[in-house]
Amino acid sequence: MNATDTAVLPATPVTLAEGDELSASVGPLTRTDFVRYAGASGDFHPLHHDEVYARAAGLPGVFGMGMLHAGMLGVHLARWVGPENIRDFSIRFTGQVWPGDELAITGRVERVETVGRVRTAHLALAVARQTGDDVIRATATAVVA
Amino acid sequence: MIDQSIVGKEIPPISFPIDRSKLAELSKSFGDGDPVWWDPAAARAAGFEGVPTPPTVTVLINHWRDGGVTGLMESIGADLARVLHGEATWEFLIPVRCGDELTARQFVADVSQRQGKRGGAMTLVKIDTEYTNQRGELAVRRTDTLIEREV
Repeated sequence: MNATDTAVLPATPVTLAEGDELSASVGPLTRTDFVRYAGASGDFHPLHHDEVYARAAGLPGVFGMGMLHAGMLGVHLARWVGPENIRDFSIRFTGQVWPGDELAITGRVERVETVGRVRTAHLALAVARQTGDDVIRATATAVVA
Repeated sequence: MIDQSIVGKEIPPISFPIDRSKLAELSKSFGDGDPVWWDPAAARAAGFEGVPTPPTVTVLINHWRDGGVTGLMESIGADLARVLHGEATWEFLIPVRCGDELTARQFVADVSQRQGKRGGAMTLVKIDTEYTNQRGELAVRRTDTLIEREV
């Protein structure tokens, strides 16, 4: 199943099997995307919207908040398995996202375990830049049908 | 510079609403304009009991803490320009829905030093947060790791 084909956000557990994959792309990201997320999330760290501040801190310019592309991964995960079926979500930031970046969001069902009547899918997820470098590596578990 | 003495420090608790306008802004900022994320009628039509929220919805706390994200970093003595977000982990126990009121209790769980890949020292700060809803149910447990790079 591919999440990009899912029209409706799942309200109940979906059927998933080992090897099923998620694939989506976002971007190119703009400074406006960073500012929109700043307003939505309340993250006004100046490294993400103030070029003068970012350059003074030794950076080439502003970069995206980690929680922006983590949130994008989160909604794609939610669209894949259903937002209320997610039990755990764990992310590690491994790189930064810059204006102009195009991101690939991927996921794979590593295994499905059954305990009693509950089936839980263990998922491996990632967000990568157009260069192929991962900016997030993540895992999640979700209750599935 | 972050100091080991902050381990165990409790950050003052904050209560904050999961409200419709902010949910619409948040989902749109992620590039997902489906009204199911903010409209009760659309959510009901999709089969939800209430308006569901994205996994990272607890970021909305930043609107209610003095100074937002930067206020949190300052409260633990971190140098804003040298702090990065390293890791985040959520455990979801009860669904968070539009109309909920969450109360966050946060404390500094750990401070450790490590050598960075390029040789510089780094300080890692682990912050644990428990989000309880208006019914007193523990809804979400979250752990964040912040990294302060040495100059």
